[in-house]
Amino acid sequence: MNEHDRKAYLASVTDRFVRGEMDRRSFLRTASKLGLGATALGMGFGNRPFMLNKAFAQEQLAPSPDVIAWLKDVGKPFAGTTLKLATESTPPSNAINSQLKKYFEEATGIKVEIEVLPLEQVLQKLTLDVASSLGTYDLYYIDQSWSASFSQDVFDPREQIAAKTELAMPNYNIDDFLPALVDGISKYEDRWVGVPYDIPIFIMIYRKDIYEKLGLKAPATFDELLTNSVAITKEMGPTTFGYAGQMKSGHYALECEWTSMLWGHGGSIFNADKKFVGNDEQGIKALEYYTKLREIMPPGVDGWTWDGQGQAVAQGVAASMLSWGEFFPYFDDPTQTKVSGLCEAVIPPQPIALRKPEECGYGEIPGVGHQGGSSLAVSKYSKSPDAAWLFMQWATCADTQALITALGGGTGPTRASVYDDPRVKANARVGAGTTRHLPVVRETIAKYMGSEPDLPEWAQISSDTIPVGLGKYFAGSYGSPKEAMDDIASQIETVMKG
Amino acid sequence: MAVAQVKRIAISDSPWPWLLPLTALLVVFTIYPLIYNIWLSFHEFVPKSRGLKFVGFSNWIQLWNDTRFWSALGVTFLYFIVALTIEIILGMSIALLLDAELPGFGALRAILSMTLVIPPAIAGMMFLLMQDPQFGVLPYLLDQLGILGKGTPILATSSLALAGVLVAEIWQWTPFMVLIFMAGLRALPVEPYEAASIDGASAFQMFRRLTLPMMSKVIAVAVLLRGIDLFRVFDYVFVMTSGGPGTSTYTVSLYAWQQTFSFLKWGYGATLSLTSLVIIMVMANLFIRIAKVRW
Amino acid sequence: MQQSAFARTLRTIAGWCVVGIFFFPIYFWTSVAFRDAKDIFNWPPIFVDFSPTVQNFEQVFGISLGFGPPAAVTPGGGNFYMGPRLWDSIVVASLSTVLAIVVATLAAYALSRMQFRGRHEYVNWVLSTRMMPPVAVAIPMFFIFKQFSLLDTYIGVILIHGLMNLPLAVLLLKSFFDDIPVEIDESALLDGASRWTIFRRIVLPMAKGGIAASAVLCFIFSWTEFLFVLTLTQTGLKTVPVVSSTFVTSIGTAWGNMAALGAAAIVPAFIVILLVQRHLVRGLTMGSLKQ
Repeated sequence: MNEHDRKAYLASVTDRFVRGEMDRRSFLRTASKLGLGATALGMGFGNRPFMLNKAFAQEQLAPSPDVIAWLKDVGKPFAGTTLKLATESTPPSNAINSQLKKYFEEATGIKVEIEVLPLEQVLQKLTLDVASSLGTYDLYYIDQSWSASFSQDVFDPREQIAAKTELAMPNYNIDDFLPALVDGISKYEDRWVGVPYDIPIFIMIYRKDIYEKLGLKAPATFDELLTNSVAITKEMGPTTFGYAGQMKSGHYALECEWTSMLWGHGGSIFNADKKFVGNDEQGIKALEYYTKLREIMPPGVDGWTWDGQGQAVAQGVAASMLSWGEFFPYFDDPTQTKVSGLCEAVIPPQPIALRKPEECGYGEIPGVGHQGGSSLAVSKYSKSPDAAWLFMQWATCADTQALITALGGGTGPTRASVYDDPRVKANARVGAGTTRHLPVVRETIAKYMGSEPDLPEWAQISSDTIPVGLGKYFAGSYGSPKEAMDDIASQIETVMKG
Repeated sequence: MAVAQVKRIAISDSPWPWLLPLTALLVVFTIYPLIYNIWLSFHEFVPKSRGLKFVGFSNWIQLWNDTRFWSALGVTFLYFIVALTIEIILGMSIALLLDAELPGFGALRAILSMTLVIPPAIAGMMFLLMQDPQFGVLPYLLDQLGILGKGTPILATSSLALAGVLVAEIWQWTPFMVLIFMAGLRALPVEPYEAASIDGASAFQMFRRLTLPMMSKVIAVAVLLRGIDLFRVFDYVFVMTSGGPGTSTYTVSLYAWQQTFSFLKWGYGATLSLTSLVIIMVMANLFIRIAKVRW
Repeated sequence: MQQSAFARTLRTIAGWCVVGIFFFPIYFWTSVAFRDAKDIFNWPPIFVDFSPTVQNFEQVFGISLGFGPPAAVTPGGGNFYMGPRLWDSIVVASLSTVLAIVVATLAAYALSRMQFRGRHEYVNWVLSTRMMPPVAVAIPMFFIFKQFSLLDTYIGVILIHGLMNLPLAVLLLKSFFDDIPVEIDESALLDGASRWTIFRRIVLPMAKGGIAASAVLCFIFSWTEFLFVLTLTQTGLKTVPVVSSTFVTSIGTAWGNMAALGAAAIVPAFIVILLVQRHLVRGLTMGSLKQ
């Protein structure tokens, strides 16, 4: 293809992408084949800016030259090494695996193999690796709910920086990670269990058009959320419902949504004496509220994780959800959903009351914006910890994160500076991979974030005891919210006793 | 004497050289796991020290008192019995129906076997999508037929969830039964049927007096093979319900998987697996005896 | 037995209907592979009237099928590129089948032809190795595999799938050998032929159909196995059932892509079935009709 044809083709491809005739993945691939890189995506296609910004685009399409130069320099001794990482299929991992890791591999000669799995399978892989101390994986993807379990099995990144000055990335700036995330995701007791790698967090997403049609305001409190949702279901049901939950029995998703309601009503999971208090007065109120909200949700909600919840909003079945912000860019994708441009993101509803972290146990931090972040860390059993440490710094540095956010479709960055990156901001328009919700994400992280407690038994409590108990409650096995919560409390006691 | 000569040769050659590869492989790869699991069931994994600690019989005592285990065992038995019964009756009916040279029946038999090549993990996802109360085709069809109310969440209703999983199970494995039974029907001798039809026996009488008794061994083998796998069912429940709602679809295999990998209770997981193994072995051996299967 | 024309018509219709019900999920799933998300999640569900797209296949197999827009897909790009995984599945299923069949044929011949004490118990023991819940086998296997560097290798997965299929293969093959008259062996023995010669020159050729039928079942069970591959592989190889869970991402399930892989994965295994269908139906009696 000659230069003129190439440009013309690119323009037509771009045009089709903007008009929604082409999905983001195909577009990205075509574009990169033709020499259009990451940032062109961030240019806001609405006014055909590509030709205008060509110089900027080509300059920014790859990792910054400084980063590449450093990788080339420091990576030499490790050429030929192979690194393995097992990760959940999240936007950052997908962006690294499919688009970005080739830059790292070219610069260093280190091969990176990424195994992409559903979350529970990642846990299985880590468990086997840790229990056998075999070091089959060099890097661990650690969900915040596992950080207590695996804290002894990974290097503390601060120690790595101090111990290996020759390998430390210039301007890595570990203080750039949002402090709330470090506390909520990566810290267990005094140790950093890796660095914050991704941050799905609950934000309020609602259908602006429906709200306007019915003369409603964005829900600012839990009461408003309920009354708005009731009004919508009453008016538009059973084709459209006011709210969709993630209430699959026995699944971690149900526990996530419940904690958000619990914290929003002034309750907490544990009290300062490390005793389960989900069955106290506030806990019962929260469950009563959840029950009321449940009544106006689509009937399928009891079988949905965030997957079904997201589809319900995407296909116009539900008008709002308090859930992972990562869904927002998907909702804006006109090839996949019926609601592109119709959704709006706001901060989560204000809590009715909020307990202070000091009144809770095990590092629990109440807040309506439930976070489900995860860390990336180097395994202590890795056979090539230094090469793994290089990869980890590269994967979590500001430059890479900005590329991830632009490429990976509006996932929430974990570093303060990335929120202000021009490449990220340029994507804040309606369309696939939008970043227009990120200011809300940032504010939620700073002010309204809720973090689950860290204790070794938490994996079992959060993915089994609580969601199984709640599932039974919503299936009608208990007489009252109180009875259900008391039963869950006694089961948790059994689990904690070991 | 020729016969004596044959006998001598037959006696003199030992089967063991022939059986050696099989025996060696099975010993290495099944006896070791068995011993390992027995050993493991007296230990428990300690997350803090990353090591195994001897705990005596406490896993076995815990098992005895674990209501979750007993309910999982109940679910497993229910699943086992319902699936096996339906698969056999349905499989036999379809085999009888299709055992004829009618237009397109060869193609039908081939199409039917397609369900077998779909991995259960994917089949589970298929039915998960098809049973979604909001978007799925199954609730839609059931609603149109007036069987279930609109939007009934099959997999999220305690009384229906197991049925929802069983739909996938039965869909996938009934054709397996059809294949086996069809093979049996094809191998039946013709003469008894001719005699019976001269005597004026009805089709049903022939089925009951001739087909069933002659097919009894085939049925027995089918029950044995499928029964063993049914008792270890994992993929469908894992994918479709994760055991929910509540504990209404927890099977022993799923519970053992979860104890082992989600909660790091390796010892208890091994205890559950061993219990399951013992139950299957006892049932299988009883069955082999009662059904008089001789290999 | 002669049936009336009416009964025959009725039976034909019934046969088509019953198989139609069983085929419906496969049709629906395949049609999902040709839809975008909007057509998958519609209410009321769309049965036939969707706007077809091959994009799901293009993403999964990294090829351009040449419909509509010009090639927008590069091989090797994207997490959803599963072409090599289909190949992994074919390699594992084929070679593990060969392993199981070779070992099982030898054993089954002896079990069919030679009388020895404890034969019934021996077969029961072989069968009982299939009774252990897979999760209980997977963990010790993980350690053994690590010890012998079999983790994440073709050889390892082939080995475990071969083993998993041995009990079934032995039972099936024994039944086929049982169907071949013993007199043939006996007269050959009298002529001074060795067991090995008889096995290779006489019995094996006669049991060809049965071996094919057993091989198909081994192939299918390997093709569909999930937990062993999940536990014993990492990035080196993966088979279709395990890799299909890659489509379950943190921001929802890529149903279209998953269906595309699932639909494509039906083809190779189904071809194998068609090749030996005749033997399959004949062979599955497992000799149990012989009293």
